[in-house]
Amino acid sequence: MADFFRYLVIGLGNGAIYAMIGLGLVVIYRATGLLNFSQGEIAMFTTFIVWSFTQAGIPLWASMLLGVVAGFLIGVVLQRVIIQPFGDPHQKPLTLVIVTIGMFLGINAFAQLIWGTDTKALDPLFGNGQFEIFGVGIAWQKVGALAVLAVEVVVFWLIFQRTKIGLAMRSVASNSESSALVGIPVSRVLMIGWGLAASIGAVAGTFTAVDRGVDSNLMILTLIYALAAITLGGFDSLVGAVVGGLIVGIVTEVVPRYVDFLAKVPLAPAFALILIVLLVRPEGLFGTKRVARV
Amino acid sequence: MNRSRTWRAVAVILALSLAAAGCGRDDDDSGDSDDSSTDDTSASSASFIDPAEDCEDYQPTQGISGDTITVGTVRPAQGPYAIYDTVTKGVEKFFDAANAKGGVKAGDGKSYQIKLLKEDDGYDPGRTPDAVKKLVEQDQVFAMVGQIGTENNLSVRTYINDKCVPSVALATGSPEWGKAAEYPWFIGGLPSYAAEARVALEFLEKDNPDATIALLYQNDDFGKSYQAAIEKYIEDTGSQMSVVAQQPYDPNSGQTTEGVTTQLAQSGADVFFVGIGGTPCPRTLTFIPADWQPTVYVSITCSGKIALSLAGGKDEGIYSTQAQLDAASPADQANPKVQQFIQDGQAQGLTMTDIEGGIVSAGWGFASIFARALELSPTVERADIMNTLYSMQDENFGLMRDEMSVNTNDAEDPWLFEQLRMVHREGGQWVQASELVEFDGESNEFVGG
Amino acid sequence: MTDIATPTVEPMTSGSRGFDSQRALRVAPVVVILVLCIVLPLMLSEFWVDRITGWIPLAIAALGLNLLTGYNGQISVGHGALYGLGAYTSAILVGDQGWPLFLAVLGGALVSFAAGVIIGLPALRIRGLYLALVTLSVAVLFPELVRQAEGLTGGTGGYYITEPQVNSRGVVVDRPIRLEAPEWTGLANDQWRFYVFVVIAFACFVLARNLVHSRTGRAMIAIRDNEVAAEVNGVNVARIKVLTFGVGSALAGVGGGLYALWRTQLFPQSFTLLASFYFLVAMVVGGPASIIGPAIGAVFYGFFADVITPELPERVKPATPLILGVLLIVLMRVAPGGVVGLARTTMARFAVARAAPRGADSESAAGEDETASISRSEE
Repeated sequence: MADFFRYLVIGLGNGAIYAMIGLGLVVIYRATGLLNFSQGEIAMFTTFIVWSFTQAGIPLWASMLLGVVAGFLIGVVLQRVIIQPFGDPHQKPLTLVIVTIGMFLGINAFAQLIWGTDTKALDPLFGNGQFEIFGVGIAWQKVGALAVLAVEVVVFWLIFQRTKIGLAMRSVASNSESSALVGIPVSRVLMIGWGLAASIGAVAGTFTAVDRGVDSNLMILTLIYALAAITLGGFDSLVGAVVGGLIVGIVTEVVPRYVDFLAKVPLAPAFALILIVLLVRPEGLFGTKRVARV
Repeated sequence: MNRSRTWRAVAVILALSLAAAGCGRDDDDSGDSDDSSTDDTSASSASFIDPAEDCEDYQPTQGISGDTITVGTVRPAQGPYAIYDTVTKGVEKFFDAANAKGGVKAGDGKSYQIKLLKEDDGYDPGRTPDAVKKLVEQDQVFAMVGQIGTENNLSVRTYINDKCVPSVALATGSPEWGKAAEYPWFIGGLPSYAAEARVALEFLEKDNPDATIALLYQNDDFGKSYQAAIEKYIEDTGSQMSVVAQQPYDPNSGQTTEGVTTQLAQSGADVFFVGIGGTPCPRTLTFIPADWQPTVYVSITCSGKIALSLAGGKDEGIYSTQAQLDAASPADQANPKVQQFIQDGQAQGLTMTDIEGGIVSAGWGFASIFARALELSPTVERADIMNTLYSMQDENFGLMRDEMSVNTNDAEDPWLFEQLRMVHREGGQWVQASELVEFDGESNEFVGG
Repeated sequence: MTDIATPTVEPMTSGSRGFDSQRALRVAPVVVILVLCIVLPLMLSEFWVDRITGWIPLAIAALGLNLLTGYNGQISVGHGALYGLGAYTSAILVGDQGWPLFLAVLGGALVSFAAGVIIGLPALRIRGLYLALVTLSVAVLFPELVRQAEGLTGGTGGYYITEPQVNSRGVVVDRPIRLEAPEWTGLANDQWRFYVFVVIAFACFVLARNLVHSRTGRAMIAIRDNEVAAEVNGVNVARIKVLTFGVGSALAGVGGGLYALWRTQLFPQSFTLLASFYFLVAMVVGGPASIIGPAIGAVFYGFFADVITPELPERVKPATPLILGVLLIVLMRVAPGGVVGLARTTMARFAVARAAPRGADSESAAGEDETASISRSEE
């Protein structure tokens, strides 16, 4: 039982990271109606920025917040320079999927050009300390990750539900043409949506990098877990990203510990679960059902 | 109607072109192959490789023009495994340093400048053949030096062997490189992983004859070489040691080793054998729970200073093996070879971080193998270079420890490096834990599975 | 399914007209490509013939993806898995079961077809981005499963299509089983391999063309443009969608099988999500919803990877993905319809300018309808 509890804690810690990246994907989907394959790479890039700030002697907390700001700016610039010229993302999903794949390839190589190929170390935000429950040591870092995740969800929920810009985003995401007609500055709303989604990458990266080290490879595989998380949770649901992330984290850590042949394919149980969920509820656990219109 | 006309035209063109092709292409290579037979005399009949028998189209001196020898290497330059590019940097800097001093003086009395051409395969063995073919057929290199990756090198084994291109100092210790009888054009640049596991186990057994072992192995040829060699050691020697828990780890899974390490910790084993590479290897040390205090052995591939800097300070007290001098160790820094390495490396723009890091120095060592073979070989021809490598006697060069010596004897004993010493991590430095262990000519016997 | 074999719907109004410039313009590129395919292997070195041979499997797989995504509107990022499935199936059929090479490719295509149909079933309920994610799951899982099924696939160590042979030193070694030129052709092995691949590719492209121009093809396009409307008009949406998934996958399987024959060795790393991305790239660069597009896209990608990249200065080489990424984005901006789309709009303008006096040229080819419709749906 203690073993199970240990694996569960590891799964939750990883799940929190998947959920954070997943949140970025959900935010961008809700704000712009786009599946952004470069989400993980933006997070990787901003994590390098966080690392660079720590090298300049700035405390990790402050570096991370600076990374968040940098992320916001990067998101804004990417939207203005690359995405904006393509017009309404709803109209050309395929084109924009390809564009984000282009960004995925480009950002990765760009980061490697700037920061090189060797892995950098980043300290845990909540230190190396731990406490014990039922004789199982639990690192503060993992509890911290969950707490930060909770803060992120609340902040985004408030932004989406309680602010004018959030309302505008929801409106633009559901119908950009009529939004423009009622006077919403669609292009600026999309820009802010990109900024928000990119900004949380620095937080996710700061947590991810502790156990994996910072290199241009940081998010390539992590993104897959995050995609799994939001597929499971539902594409447009903040809560879905969190629940999905935690489930994926737990399933991929716990199941292989007990089922020997899955030790080599930890992702298999997670994706099997996704396929089942999608067949039963195509919109994911928490997603909104879309009605087909003629 | 239009369609059928088009079709007929195409059919006619096809037929014509096939007929034309029947005459065959003017093959550039076919002309050269005739010459090669006249050169066969240079390889003595007693030699291990006899191009007359082993090669269909032997080009003894391809890649040599004037006083320049062009060699090639394939490594990942971008993507997840781009860190291995640093090994290649070491190879390159060694040649640069040698060139700056007037080149490598070969056995034929001439001094050669060595030019290294690099290709990228992204560590994907599916792409290695393209890169190697380009180097061999387009760029016409003389040899491959220090090529990265077990699977990557295996993917071109038949090709390189058919083309009779020396592939020297492979940056992998897979037991597969002991198959010199089947594939004589390859020679490894690292000790066999199987031998490494053997040396480690013998050492650990002295400390605790009935030690229980928890094994973490990478789920590929590299990790499984350790796994099989450990099993074989226990079986062969009737050792009382036992593997009580083992877990595979796949670096492509995107997971950390935290889960598997926690699981292995449940075994409470006396020894934790970390048979994985890359960043996950040092990070694994940070996942060992506080209530498990095993003797930890880490793979030779992650014993460098750069790798262990990622261990979050948890590298104290671990064991590993070493074959080369360690530029990061104060004890070794006084050694003239290390002095030379530091001096030459810095002259070529290497930083002290590079020099002490343990990755560049590996590449430096690989290049030195090729340079030494050139010096010793009677002629600068492909077969002679390989035969020289396969008949070395008491050689010591590059960054090899002074007490080491290289002895090879054809397929009987194809391994260059068959000595290792155990080292113990104390205060951020490696300290010798055992004298050099010799296993000359035995590497192939340790291979399990 | 009924009329794959029947001729296309193109109007046969020629006869009266001596020279049909429209038609000539459309046939010309095909003729140029065919002539190039015949002549190139005779002129290029073995190295380059081998290299361009490798572009053909990519073209066939991208063609399959194009049927699915370009014509039927189902976005798939999992085509690399179906390509890999075809490759491994063919390889194992040759290496372990001793099947003749071409039969093995066919076997690979069938297995991929079946897998495609199975993946296509959830696609009936799941659309758009969610479908993309289902296919993504498949793309991610495939290399993992290959690693897991080590006994069958060789796992991380790769699968080598070989047979044991005694070499010149009397030692038994594994030699690759290759496609070799029959004596009567007088061709070198690499040339023969190229011609065989081209013939197979040509067959695949003709098959796809006929399919697209058939009733089934029109139904595919109708579903892409408006699924509900298609259903209302009596199209059996479920059947067409699943069938398209199957055929698109079977083509990926053929591509994979040829890849296996070309390489004679397979590694799970070659069939990751990135491979699926590259198929998408090839399809979109060439021109979605055009038959020749994927071939052009494959050549574009091959040219970039095999011809341009090696010529870049060493310092710039690590930046090649950056260059590819930027190129991709710029291309999407300048020519969302890909190279074919660009050519069609240019030609259409040209044709309109010239044909205006003759009155509306009603012989608007099916191909141009497609451009119009994809650009409509994309804009």
